[in-house]
Amino acid sequence: MKRSALRVALVCAIAAMGVARAWAEPATPPAADQCLTCHLDQDSPEAIAYKTDVHAARGVSCADCHGGDPRSDDQDVAMSKARGYIGVPRKDQIPRLCGRCHGPGTEAFKARFKLDDVLTDFGGSVHGHALESNPGGPQCVSCHGVHSIARVTDPRSPVHPSHVIETCAHCHSNAAYMRDFDPALPVDQRDKYLTSIHGKRHAAGDIKVATCVSCHSNHLVLQVKDPRSPVYPTHVPGTCAKCHADARYMAGYGIPTTQYDDYRQSVHGKALLQKSDLNAPACNSCHGNHGAAPPGASSVIAVCGQCHQSNEDLYEQSAHRGAFAEKKLPGCMVCHGNHAVRAASDKLVSFDAPAPCAKCHRNDGTDTSAPEIVRMRGLLDSLTVGQTATLAVLSHAENLGMDVTDARYSLKDVNQSVVQSRVAIHSFKVRKLEEAARPGIAIIAQANRAGEEAVHEYKFRRQGLAVSTLIVTFLVVLLWLKIRQIERRQQGEKS
Amino acid sequence: MTERASGPMRWIRERFNIDPLIEFASHKQVPEWRGSFWYYFGGVSLFLFIVQVVSGILLLMYYQPGEKTAYESVRFIVTKVRFGWLVRSIHSWAANLFILSAFIHMFSVFFTKAFRRPRELTWYSGFLLLALGLGFGFSGYLLPWNTLAYFATKVGTTIVAVLPGVGEPIMELLRAGKDVSTATLTRFYGLHVAILPAAFTLILGLHLMLIQTQGMHEPEPWPGGKPRYMPFFPNFVLRDLLLWLIVLNILAILAVWFPWELGSKADPFGAAPQGIKPEWYFLFTYQALKYFPAKLAGIDGEVVGIVLFGIAGLLWFLVPLWDARTPRGIRNRFINYVGITVVLFIIVMTALGVR
Repeated sequence: MKRSALRVALVCAIAAMGVARAWAEPATPPAADQCLTCHLDQDSPEAIAYKTDVHAARGVSCADCHGGDPRSDDQDVAMSKARGYIGVPRKDQIPRLCGRCHGPGTEAFKARFKLDDVLTDFGGSVHGHALESNPGGPQCVSCHGVHSIARVTDPRSPVHPSHVIETCAHCHSNAAYMRDFDPALPVDQRDKYLTSIHGKRHAAGDIKVATCVSCHSNHLVLQVKDPRSPVYPTHVPGTCAKCHADARYMAGYGIPTTQYDDYRQSVHGKALLQKSDLNAPACNSCHGNHGAAPPGASSVIAVCGQCHQSNEDLYEQSAHRGAFAEKKLPGCMVCHGNHAVRAASDKLVSFDAPAPCAKCHRNDGTDTSAPEIVRMRGLLDSLTVGQTATLAVLSHAENLGMDVTDARYSLKDVNQSVVQSRVAIHSFKVRKLEEAARPGIAIIAQANRAGEEAVHEYKFRRQGLAVSTLIVTFLVVLLWLKIRQIERRQQGEKS
Repeated sequence: MTERASGPMRWIRERFNIDPLIEFASHKQVPEWRGSFWYYFGGVSLFLFIVQVVSGILLLMYYQPGEKTAYESVRFIVTKVRFGWLVRSIHSWAANLFILSAFIHMFSVFFTKAFRRPRELTWYSGFLLLALGLGFGFSGYLLPWNTLAYFATKVGTTIVAVLPGVGEPIMELLRAGKDVSTATLTRFYGLHVAILPAAFTLILGLHLMLIQTQGMHEPEPWPGGKPRYMPFFPNFVLRDLLLWLIVLNILAILAVWFPWELGSKADPFGAAPQGIKPEWYFLFTYQALKYFPAKLAGIDGEVVGIVLFGIAGLLWFLVPLWDARTPRGIRNRFINYVGITVVLFIIVMTALGVR
């Protein structure tokens, strides 16, 4: 709160200074800039470099940053503190100096030169915070250089796509420097990047590929855990999709651009994007982030196994492990797909296309694995179909007014058996699956029996009621006849 | 006749002289006229009370009061105990039919002016029996410790609290604390199985003794001018028995076709279910209180309503005192109008409450 208030005050002050100065002292024409004249005469490297600076061409004088009076050719006057001379600005002063023009405000020259307010973005960024807490932190010149600043599209600029990796790595690969700001932050991003597909293409001169700023943004760089960050888990797919879903941009790379749409429809995508389940994988969970590359066929199982550990363990011991490796089939993907991973269904264990078993196995009597596949599907169905059928029996009993709460409650434990069986299927062994399914099948049988007994009890009650009603009604009739008999006799005695 | 008796009767007679009782029963007569039908509702109420006592004792074998046991034990009764479902359902249905039968009995006594001298004590004791029956219903409703019972008890006991001065202490006395809790359950259990049955049995004994000694009220004047009687034994007793069997049949059909639901266990921290209502026999009071404005002459409307109901109940109880014309044999239409108004009020308010 306090920091935000200071930041706002700082920005406002800079804006006010910028506006005041812009109105009071319009940019001095270069011809009258005595600073430049004098320093060029002395072959100052800064002055020579400044001739090529993007600012020089737009009339920004030395004094606009360093202060002083550029109209005076008297050094004592021009560089006197009375005339506002500050010399080399301190690092933490630099954003304020640049912000005079690149900060907030609606002055005419900002519109003329299309100057955005990047000072506010920088102030809110992780870099801005670092500078606030440590005067040695990053500021404008850390990335853009000084005196020979060029446009981002100019290959001379340190932030040009061809240089931005090294520019960022200047600090982010420097463990000693980074320790002062975020000791826990890894410093191997550049190294990883160079191993990625992006990095390799970049090294080959392809500047269309993603660089640091493509994902992290430029002036408003935020921490990954900040929900506003483009690399916050729920934003990662959209960030990657900016390029990977753009068919025109990706033309020539020979890879599909449907991954994002596929992912959004997948069980992972729905969990992350619709349910905001941060445990669900985003692109970087499987491909890596700085070292992004598609996992090879042999490593798919390890990638999926990061979350699906039990499935991986069982698969590693299964017959499929060797068979798939021999045929260079990408493990999990063979049955579940990749970006468009759907919720696994028992229908996957089938000989009916497009079930994956049918890709290699035939149920024509020649395949010795076929009976096992049939048995395994049968076990899975015993749980799911059996559970549904038992629920129907229990519902029927409930509709008849019978209490089957215990049986219904016990069915909840079947779900655990279903989950364990669906994991055990990755062993592709009937015995393993039987072990996992047996408790669930027993519960289903017990609940089914309870439901049928309840229905039987209902019928018994109705039949019992019918019998008792008949008996009582018979007694009523007998009693009525007896009363009439008594009363007739009494009448007879009276008369 | 006495000389000819043998076997068990002789055995009893040798030990206890029952001849006066047999003599009394054989000579006792019951007026026989078009209103005689209403006499049977006293017997039906008695029968339903006996059914409740028997089924209640059976439930007692398994019921365990307590926050963690009340609901579970009732669930055990209706699901595991052989015929437990039937016993519980019959107990609940018999309770409701008892209240209905007792109301019918009370109004039949009122409209036939059977409360008049010398039967004032019978009226007072009968009124107290009905009040105790309502107490049975209110206390027994909470015992299964289900959601509806919990919140209905909460609402019911809160109504008392609006009475200025005495409301809060009465509510706390009923609840055994500030809120409905396990302590309330224990208190209601004690009321339901010990205090109320003891009080009820005593007053019922007095009520039956008064009826037997004073005899049934006779119509005044007799229709047709000529009194007619039927012997109490065996004619009236057998007819009573016949009606009891029919009621037993109705009870069995209701218990099997419409078993009393248990619902979900009460959660004191849960939200009250929507449309929570008291049992039907309290519904007319509950509904009528809704129509009272928030303030009446500067007094809380609900307080006015409860006080008015209290006064009305007291006047109803004391009707033998203020109905001065009927005992003198003067036709009194006013008392009929009062009765009809009360019956219509109860029917209309209950119907509105059920809707």
